[in-house]
Amino acid sequence: MSGRGAEGAPGTIPALQAALTAEHATIYGYGIVGAYLSGSAQATATDDWVAHQVARDRLEAMLRSLGAQPAAAAVAYQLPAPVRSAGEAVSLAVLLEDRVATAYLGLVALGNASIRDYGALQVQASALRGAAWRGGTVAFPGMTPAALAAPRKPA
Amino acid sequence: MAAKPTRRVVLAAAAMLPLAAVSGCDGADVLATPPSPAADVTVLREAIAAEQLMITHYTVVLHEAGATAGSLQAALDPLLAEHRAHLAQLRSRLIVPAGGPAAPRARPSPVATVPATASGGVAFLRAAEQAAATAMLSRLRGAPASLAQLFASIGASEATHVPVLDAAAARIAR
Repeated sequence: MSGRGAEGAPGTIPALQAALTAEHATIYGYGIVGAYLSGSAQATATDDWVAHQVARDRLEAMLRSLGAQPAAAAVAYQLPAPVRSAGEAVSLAVLLEDRVATAYLGLVALGNASIRDYGALQVQASALRGAAWRGGTVAFPGMTPAALAAPRKPA
Repeated sequence: MAAKPTRRVVLAAAAMLPLAAVSGCDGADVLATPPSPAADVTVLREAIAAEQLMITHYTVVLHEAGATAGSLQAALDPLLAEHRAHLAQLRSRLIVPAGGPAAPRARPSPVATVPATASGGVAFLRAAEQAAATAMLSRLRGAPASLAQLFASIGASEATHVPVLDAAAARIAR
């Protein structure tokens, strides 16, 4: 992938780095998730962990093709809430998918069509994994309340 | 959120321009070529029509299932509610000033194609959700950033409806 056409677009590298940083944190988080699960739930966590590693590799390749050094993973990440049970592990998986979907929506905002499409496909993949962990669906995967409230018609 | 209202103003101003041009000039030629809506308004209207159609499909499937709809309704109601939320959010993005071109009416819903059985109805909805998710992806190109994000998110939501409908179909088959 040459990436030609994307280099000059402002915001492309930061958005890719933000998605990569989210993937690093998600991969770390799934390590915790899997440790508290067993059986088929643990197998699902492993599958999702691998999917995020593949996505991380893809983002790193995209950044390198644009001449940027991919952001490195941190040694450890602060968990948003303590995880001490299978239920809390599932809640963490839901949160990880929500956050990574939001990061991929940052790619959808870019002008480069192929990066935009890739971001949308990843939002979809993340929403599917998130729905499976949540045991239900949401209307706007990855969208923050602020993004949904912004364009409302004035009273 | 200062940037968002600005975009609304720009959209409104763009649609008003041809009307402003009428005053002070020979209006006949201007009026002879009514302004076509901006591309993002067109694609937004398509998305709105698609959500309206999906809501109709769900309503018809639930109606056809009738008295046997208990568990089916429990499965479909949350999905229907999400489509209503999609529709409301899409409509909130559509800013067309008074005097602008009228919104095209949604095409008549092909309700006759919805199967009358619960299993057929669920299979129909599954195919419709899959197609809707794909169609949302096709609307990304050329859309403004915030609208593209909304399309991507709605398409992802619709994709998550597919496994829910698969589970509902499996329950019906048991």
